[in-house]
Amino acid sequence: MMRLVLSCRVTIALTALLISLAPVHELHAQDADSVRLAELERRIEAVTRELERMQLGRDVVEADSSIQGLGPAASKVYRVNQGVSLGGYGEFLYENFAANREDGSGSGARNQADALRVVLYVGYKFNDRLLFNSEIEIEHAKESFLEFAYLDYRLTDQVGIRGGLLLAPLGLVNELHEPPIFLGTERPLTENRIIPTTWRENGIGLFGSGDAFSWRLYVMNSFNGTKFTAGGLRGGRQKGAKALAEDMGVAARFDYTGTPGLILGVSGYTGETAQGQELANQPVGGRVSIWDVHLDYKKRGWDVRGVVAGAQVSDVTAMNSLIGLEGASGIGSNMLGWYLQAGYDLLRTSASTHQLIPYLRFEKVNTQRGVAAGFSASPANDLTVTSIGAAWRPVTQVIAKLGYQIHSTAANTGVNQLNASLGWLF
Amino acid sequence: MALLTGKRVLSAAVMTIAFASPISAQSLTQDEALTLAFQDAQLERRTAFLDDEQVARASTLAGPDVEVESTVVSYYVATRGGEPVGVAYFDVHRVRTLPQVVMLVVGTDNRVGRVETVSFREPPEYRAPDGWLEQFHGRELDGELSLKGAIANITGATLTSGAVTRATRRVLALHAVIDPFGAEVHDAEAHDADAHDADAGDLTANRR
Repeated sequence: MMRLVLSCRVTIALTALLISLAPVHELHAQDADSVRLAELERRIEAVTRELERMQLGRDVVEADSSIQGLGPAASKVYRVNQGVSLGGYGEFLYENFAANREDGSGSGARNQADALRVVLYVGYKFNDRLLFNSEIEIEHAKESFLEFAYLDYRLTDQVGIRGGLLLAPLGLVNELHEPPIFLGTERPLTENRIIPTTWRENGIGLFGSGDAFSWRLYVMNSFNGTKFTAGGLRGGRQKGAKALAEDMGVAARFDYTGTPGLILGVSGYTGETAQGQELANQPVGGRVSIWDVHLDYKKRGWDVRGVVAGAQVSDVTAMNSLIGLEGASGIGSNMLGWYLQAGYDLLRTSASTHQLIPYLRFEKVNTQRGVAAGFSASPANDLTVTSIGAAWRPVTQVIAKLGYQIHSTAANTGVNQLNASLGWLF
Repeated sequence: MALLTGKRVLSAAVMTIAFASPISAQSLTQDEALTLAFQDAQLERRTAFLDDEQVARASTLAGPDVEVESTVVSYYVATRGGEPVGVAYFDVHRVRTLPQVVMLVVGTDNRVGRVETVSFREPPEYRAPDGWLEQFHGRELDGELSLKGAIANITGATLTSGAVTRATRRVLALHAVIDPFGAEVHDAEAHDADAHDADAGDLTANRR
């Protein structure tokens, strides 16, 4: 009986003990879960921060501390990722010429398919202030050129200094000549004969931009005027290759860019071009001055652009004598060209990324609008070209164009042509 | 002597400009960008973990030419006096060869409040000007948010134009799926309708 009572007491005591201990055990278990949960959250936070740091880059996420005794902002340059930047563009062109000129005589022109250009951009960013950029081009599948190669040093956010082989900052096409950017299977003649795209020379200058404008001011080696022709200034480009630098030129540009989609600007160039040549022991100047007013508007499916460009050449008689040009073959003392072009994306309202843009361009160019006394102007250099066609962009960087050009000259020597081209940039 | 002094002043000015002037616009830090957008607001970092269905929905909302692949999205909710004022997302994408980081701020009306270039490593002439970025302000995720719609291209910087436009569509699509303001600014009915999306939201949230 005593044993039974004792056993009952032990059982009751053990039960009481278990009952009293149970909540404590549960409490401890809950505490442990909380600790584990907090640790798990801490680890997830650490992982997501590390992921963010890897995605955005160390210079973005962790740049707010100092390095080498400099303040945090000054230290940024040490964290900026350096790197090579590659890009490129290219175009193929097929030209089918009419059998007859506009006066009915045989044109003699033969159809042509050309791997017009394939270009590689290579740049290297040393830090936030200093970078190198270049364009290396193979034209017609066999001719290689350096189209530009320069070093930029940014003095401030708004102003930088640039030196090397520079693109003359005139017109719309010379600096921005990737085929998907412009409509038309070929570049406008105004920006071929008067602004001789792609026009690049060695030089140095300043560039800058603000909220609503951009500008450039370069000093460059000038043209070699002894290579000018009655057809324009194109032959005078020295392209940076052991360029004669007896005469230097100044090129400048100012654009209003305050309205998205709109570029409205002016540009100009002046420089003597005889490059030290003399005539009868007398120095020849041969100053060329080029100006242009340009507009480019791209928005809501519209692609509209226009350029007016003119050039004046001084000492033309002496320059013609230096080159040996006579009669109607002399260099024009006054040149004028302009074009107006418009296109509209018919697929603008579709959900597709494709664009289909019929376009029309009307252009007039005369490279002998004025000639020196004793010389005559060839009516064949007074051209009117009407281009009608369509461009298809499956994505914004790739374009296929089909266009028909109606050429007319004051001498009735124009030869119409049907063109097809493929272009890309990346 | 006066000429010499003038030269010294000029060279000192050039040296000052060249070596002391900040070039802050070239790259912001994340903190600088957030301060620019929200000044003194309280910021909370959150991370959304999306499942495949949510990623697919964001991809559909973003459009056919916009990649949406990430299942882990960190974002920053700004509040003043306990009321949300906006949320910032950081989107990193390739422009030509090198990446660009942009910060997109979405307001409580689910429209773009601000787009800021945080880091741009391509040549600066391809960088989107601030004036161009302002086109995105007030935009919502619709057909007009496109280079074929209300957004004008940057002539000469086509790749940047496309990259920023796609980033904006991607962020607004993710924002719609994550719905970070769901519990804070939506009325109960709207919140119920979006409950599934809101559930996707936050596993982690930390005050900065």
